[in-house]
Amino acid sequence: MRQARPYSAMFAGGVSARTGPHALPLARIKKIMKRSAGESSGVDGGGARMISGEAPVVFSKACELFIAELTRRAWAATLEGKRRTVHKEDVAAAVQNTDLFDFLVDVVMADDHDAMD
Amino acid sequence: MEAGYPGAANGAAADGNNGGTQAAAAPAIREQDRLMPIANVIRIMRRVLPAHAKISDDAKETIQECVSEYISFITGEANERCQREQRKTITAEDVLWAMSRLGFDDYVEPLSVYLHRYREFEGESRGVGVGVGVGAARGDHHHHHHHHVHAAGMSPMLKPRAQGSMATHHDMQMHAAMYGGAVPPPPQPPPHHHAFLMPPHHSQYAPYDMYGGEHGMAAYYGGMYAPGTGGNGGDGSGSSGSGGAGTPQTVNFDHQHPFGYK
Repeated sequence: MRQARPYSAMFAGGVSARTGPHALPLARIKKIMKRSAGESSGVDGGGARMISGEAPVVFSKACELFIAELTRRAWAATLEGKRRTVHKEDVAAAVQNTDLFDFLVDVVMADDHDAMD
Repeated sequence: MEAGYPGAANGAAADGNNGGTQAAAAPAIREQDRLMPIANVIRIMRRVLPAHAKISDDAKETIQECVSEYISFITGEANERCQREQRKTITAEDVLWAMSRLGFDDYVEPLSVYLHRYREFEGESRGVGVGVGVGAARGDHHHHHHHHVHAAGMSPMLKPRAQGSMATHHDMQMHAAMYGGAVPPPPQPPPHHHAFLMPPHHSQYAPYDMYGGEHGMAAYYGGMYAPGTGGNGGDGSGSSGSGGAGTPQTVNFDHQHPFGYK
């Protein structure tokens, strides 16, 4: 999250041609936003909303903070289990132990049956 | 508020890095459209983990899913607000508002800082030939532009900045009120949801039109994927630089960018 200077950031992948200086691709963020805005406003004539160019910029950073926080909490669960590999269960534990992450409960649960590996 | 993603078979290695095919949306939601690129996600995870930590694939993919859910969650709330207020465009300010609404208050300040730097940076790098100093136009240009153009407008960046699309004019009015450009400050402290301050750079909106449209984005970032997988010890993403061709508009990258916040 800390990027000392542009060049080191570049080597760490912080600046790539794809995302520019953002850690996550804005176009992708926007797509996801569009989808959820479209969904929640579809039927009643709200229509798909437009998204200001700055909104994905905010999200690119927000997602970084979010991933970092979720990862830290998952790691705490990993340590508790005296392991050093973060597993999905640790992420699930992090979600369950954090009110803020209530909205993720379905994600970490529902995924169970179509587990990837 | 649920994302309602089709329980899509995530099995197909959620490697969102298949080059820059982000343009035309296929009817079925493609994996790489619905999730953040796994390499980027892993990179961010690595930063907060000790060096000896390992991450299983299912953990990576779960976090990847969670990120999309997070975006949807916040966007849903922001969208409802826009709907209530009969606005068509979800702004950065709506997103920040939604975050503080949904418990992510802690993010608001760093995000405001980040946005501020982005604006400054964009103002500097794109503002060349567009206006005089970054701070110069700070006055009251925006008052004339309450009729706003839609954000996809992509007005040419060479327009005088005061003519830019004012998709964000909502914010601007707020700022005008709070920072008193030409407008006297409000008698009352602002209501809670306006409590986070965005820095007072009114003048810098116009250049963002660049970013307004999907196509603008695609043109700008799409198709020029560079393998930014730097120090990740080869985690996931064999991504490999596909479209090495396009040199990004250097204006963006030559600059010392102000991002890594704090």
